Amino acid sequence: MTTPHGVGIGWRPEIAGFVAELPGLRFVEVIAESVPTAGPPPDDLVELRDRGVTVVPHGVRLSLGGAEPVDPARVAHLAAVAQLLAAPLVSEHIAFVRAGGLEAGHLLPLPRSHEAVDAVCANIVRAQAELPVPIALEPIAALFDWPDDELDEASFLNEIMERTGALLLLDVANVYANARNRGTDPLALLDRLPLERVAYLHVAGGAERGGFYHDTHTDPIGREVLDLLAELSARHRPPAALLERDGYYPPAAELRTELDAIAAACGFPVVT
Amino acid sequence: MTPAGTGPARRPEPPAATTAGSLAARQAELVAALVAGGPPPPGFAPGPLAAARAALLRKRAGEVARHWPLLAAGLGPDWPAAFIEWADGRPTGGGLRDGWDLARALHARAALPALAAEELAVREAQFRYDGHRAPRRRRSPALGRAGGAIAVQFAGRVRLLRPTRP
Repeated sequence: MTTPHGVGIGWRPEIAGFVAELPGLRFVEVIAESVPTAGPPPDDLVELRDRGVTVVPHGVRLSLGGAEPVDPARVAHLAAVAQLLAAPLVSEHIAFVRAGGLEAGHLLPLPRSHEAVDAVCANIVRAQAELPVPIALEPIAALFDWPDDELDEASFLNEIMERTGALLLLDVANVYANARNRGTDPLALLDRLPLERVAYLHVAGGAERGGFYHDTHTDPIGREVLDLLAELSARHRPPAALLERDGYYPPAAELRTELDAIAAACGFPVVT
Repeated sequence: MTPAGTGPARRPEPPAATTAGSLAARQAELVAALVAGGPPPPGFAPGPLAAARAALLRKRAGEVARHWPLLAAGLGPDWPAAFIEWADGRPTGGGLRDGWDLARALHARAALPALAAEELAVREAQFRYDGHRAPRRRRSPALGRAGGAIAVQFAGRVRLLRPTRP
């Protein structure tokens, strides 16, 4: 399978019919943990793959940023899904999702400390040793920071990228959310990231609630996020950009409009 | 068939042997503060931490609604507040178990909506769930009851015998 190109969409069972009918689609993501490996992959994904659509397994529960070594069974599952779907790469997050025997239920930020960089790099290297394909790492949206950060975000991410040789999955909505909530300039961060290492982008909607911008994946993509996407593409056009929607699915026409807006911002052909 | 209790609240496992102040210990403290009612770890700004805690609860509510659509629909405008009130400080067992525990808790205090009672009866007939471990599919025929709803499962097929009376 070819690496991701053009506009993609996060494949979810609820919108499988919509995704199947996108005529120009060449790239989807599937939540890796949702794919069973004891048997054939879901029919919808097989049909997409048979059409030449690249399917990238996107892990959400490896907890690469956990202080403990990454669970070999979870890595083995991600590797098996990659093989099952003939994926050219997999992706995961720079985050942790569990600690002390408790599941957080979402991606949590690491302290931007040297100790945390060591821990996450050790886990990424452990995962890379078992994965049949490259891994792209996604920096997350965080509502809070740790009190004793030693590195700024760009130095933290660059250190991890350099030490692991991983690809970058840059989520434009996460960059926007973090900058807005911290009162920083998203372009200043983009200017310091290795944009040539971007395997693909994520784009998603969010909403303001209680004084914080939440990266919900259940709201429309805002103008500011699309503008940032266009700015990023003007600096270094990524190979691909993917719409993430995870609930409160709008009518098909609205999803098509969002996919077209992403295509326009990046200068990609429309897929709708 | 339906246990009357709410099931014991899930408690964190005893902490592994971690050095105080280590990354592992601090990550564990943070997660406990976010999902298990633990004290806020020192130094964190309280406002953003509270926002993250609330966002996690809303996300859990969405996951439970996917597993238990009739529970969420039955509670109508009280969803997701009813879930969030119940779940606050209670670590997740995943959307399936969280919804199951809430449905049983509501059933125990006769507050389970009729639609949700049918959903619960069907689940009780399909799966054996002890409130502690992941539900397991029943091999032998079983009845599930909740409120006035009765579901029967035979050879893996489930039928709702008696829907809940309005």
